[in-house]
Amino acid sequence: MRIADQERDDVLLRRAGKGDEEAFTLLYRRHQAALYRFALRMSGNAWAAEEIVQDVFMTLMRDPKKYDPARGTLGGFLYGVTRNRVLKHLERTPQREVSLEEKNENGAGSGIVLLDSTTPAIQAEMRERVEQVWAAVLDLPAEFREAVVLCELEERSYEEAAEMIGCPIGTIRSRLHRGRALLMARLEILRDVPRPATLRPHASAAK
Amino acid sequence: MTCSEFEETGLDAERDASLGEAQRAAAVAHAASCPRCAALRDSWEATQMELRLLARATGTLDAPARVAMRLRQQFRTQYRTPRVRRTAVIAAWGLAAAAVLVGAVSWVKWRNAQQNPHNVAFKSGAPASSQGLPDQNPNPDPSLVADNELGNFTLLPGVLPAETDGSAILSVRMQRGTLGTLGLPVNEDRASEWIQVDLLVGNDGLPQAVRLPE
Repeated sequence: MRIADQERDDVLLRRAGKGDEEAFTLLYRRHQAALYRFALRMSGNAWAAEEIVQDVFMTLMRDPKKYDPARGTLGGFLYGVTRNRVLKHLERTPQREVSLEEKNENGAGSGIVLLDSTTPAIQAEMRERVEQVWAAVLDLPAEFREAVVLCELEERSYEEAAEMIGCPIGTIRSRLHRGRALLMARLEILRDVPRPATLRPHASAAK
Repeated sequence: MTCSEFEETGLDAERDASLGEAQRAAAVAHAASCPRCAALRDSWEATQMELRLLARATGTLDAPARVAMRLRQQFRTQYRTPRVRRTAVIAAWGLAAAAVLVGAVSWVKWRNAQQNPHNVAFKSGAPASSQGLPDQNPNPDPSLVADNELGNFTLLPGVLPAETDGSAILSVRMQRGTLGTLGLPVNEDRASEWIQVDLLVGNDGLPQAVRLPE
């Protein structure tokens, strides 16, 4: 058996199903980040995202046969399970019950990492702006938010997003259109406050 | 392209692979000629920049390490506990089978002993009465011989013939004077003489009859 075969998701999953902990750990490492980010961006709640990711992998651990390689990739399957969990979570908590600050009571920070902030003042300003944008995203209805998260934050193509959600491309386009309109309206209001120079569009792009 | 078409498809025309080149060109041309749509496009570009900032800010996040730890624990519970339990069950069944086998062999031996009492003979260590004494016996292994016959045995005082049922014969060497402790008359002149004696020993371990082989 070639190494590439050994490391394929379905092979790893089969090994994990027989009690191979290393194979399960590899699968977890391979997929956890994308699922966690999606859950976090959709819910705005680090605890909920953590629970959702854990729940998804528990499901995979308890019943690995739920995944059928003939129907798609394991990543797609896990994303589908995560999406269902996220939507259930959003149904239970239709309103954001905690603010972006409150959700980080474990001391881990807001989860936002600003890599290129030059000074503490700019860093604080950018953090505030990012939190405003995130809050605006979280205020979108779930289906619009999902389209925005997939296409704008995860930079997936319309086709990929449509395949992941399981809907036609036209639906994605429509949801994005409506999500964009709501998002722009919200952010335009916030932009009345002077924004840092780093966030302003280039002069050429503005013309 | 109309303003509503621009809003729906023109804003993100570059990324929408389902649009053709002509539609993309029409979107660009419309934005160039329509100030409202140009402003909308600028607003969207500003929003996209902010979204990219959010994407970058949250793009390096991983699930906390405690999730991996909990999953690992659960994995071990799910897969290792049954394995240990299976091993324990197999070991228990093995022990039970061994116990049954030992019991069966013991029972068969006991049955054989019951059916052929004359054939049962077993070795034992040197009798206490012969320890530390000069070896005058040509047979170095005194033996305990199971025998229910009472022929040539003299019952010891106080023993009834019925009490000798199930007794065993014990061949020992002893000084003749020791017979006195069993309640038998002893010739004092020959009290120190070593003799071979067969003792009929009861189930309680006490001698019940004695035989002096010729």
